[in-house]
Amino acid sequence: MALLAAIALSSFVFTANPKGGLEVASVKVYHANARRYPNRKQELAFVNFNINADLSPLFHWNTKQLFVYLEAEYNNTKSVENSVVIWDRIIRRKEDAYIKFAGKNKYMFREVSTSFKDVPPANYVLKYNVMPYVGVLTYGEAARTSEAAEFPAAQSRVS
Amino acid sequence: MFAEELKAFRRLGLRHVLLQILNFASVIASGLMIWKGLGLITNSESPIVVVLSGSMEPAFYRGDLLFLTNPPNQRYQTGDITVYKIPGADIPIVHRVLETHDTPGKVKKSQCVWLSLFLSMPLNSYDRPGITPMPKQLMLTKGDNNHVDDIELYQGLEWLERKHIVGKVRGFVPYVGYVTIAMNDFPQLKYALLGGLGLLALLQRE
Repeated sequence: MALLAAIALSSFVFTANPKGGLEVASVKVYHANARRYPNRKQELAFVNFNINADLSPLFHWNTKQLFVYLEAEYNNTKSVENSVVIWDRIIRRKEDAYIKFAGKNKYMFREVSTSFKDVPPANYVLKYNVMPYVGVLTYGEAARTSEAAEFPAAQSRVS
Repeated sequence: MFAEELKAFRRLGLRHVLLQILNFASVIASGLMIWKGLGLITNSESPIVVVLSGSMEPAFYRGDLLFLTNPPNQRYQTGDITVYKIPGADIPIVHRVLETHDTPGKVKKSQCVWLSLFLSMPLNSYDRPGITPMPKQLMLTKGDNNHVDDIELYQGLEWLERKHIVGKVRGFVPYVGYVTIAMNDFPQLKYALLGGLGLLALLQRE
């Protein structure tokens, strides 16, 4: 019990705050069908991005895994604050903690109002969650796009 | 074999037995007090939970113990691991928040009560500048080990709301909770343990 507490407390000593690079290559919006209701139309956004971040300083003796996620932050036309995770990755070893990734979103990116029309540009942020073997979960931010990326008008077909 | 114990039992008399029962009752009562006190501080109906499924592997396995808080003046963020209970579902679920959509809201009374209890703010401070109103949040969750999000688990609801959430995971101890899972799977173990404890309490001599 005391040993567990000591291990949990010791991880407060490690305060790494690694930073990386993140850029959004392109954003496209397409018309699609809603998932649950085949008759309802909805717009989906597809984001291409590049991540280049070395998160290995976050690994110490009480790090079980990292949960790394990329989220889009934007306010919509009804001033609702939205944050949507569009990509994530679980890292379990220090050797895998250098993330070099170019690709598109893993999860569906949709708007609550079903349309991205006139929605202000979105910021994209790379965040991480350090999960210990025992103790307290911590969170941090590794990268943020330097300028917000706009949502273009919706296309009806892939071109 | 038990003759000796029985003799000792008779010698101690009724008064001793009553005293031991009283002791036992006070242990149970203080346990309950600690549990409810923790619930009050963390603002969560169940501040300690045991993981029952593998949907958050490799982060959490069956039997891991989680410590939760649910501060009423904090919004939930993406990446937070929540424990939620949908009305109609009997077991709470531990999953990570994937989407949040916040509509600006008003300061709630429960928020003021909690703040006045633990940060000693005046109770009728509904429009104090220090207190930011809590947004009305619509959330979507997903288990790390699942391929799709949780919409199918919401029993017809489109989004998860604050009122469904029991708390967010703050701390973690591996495997300790496995005892309770074992006791649920093998009820004999539970009765044996409880009976053994009770007998021990009764037969204990000062």
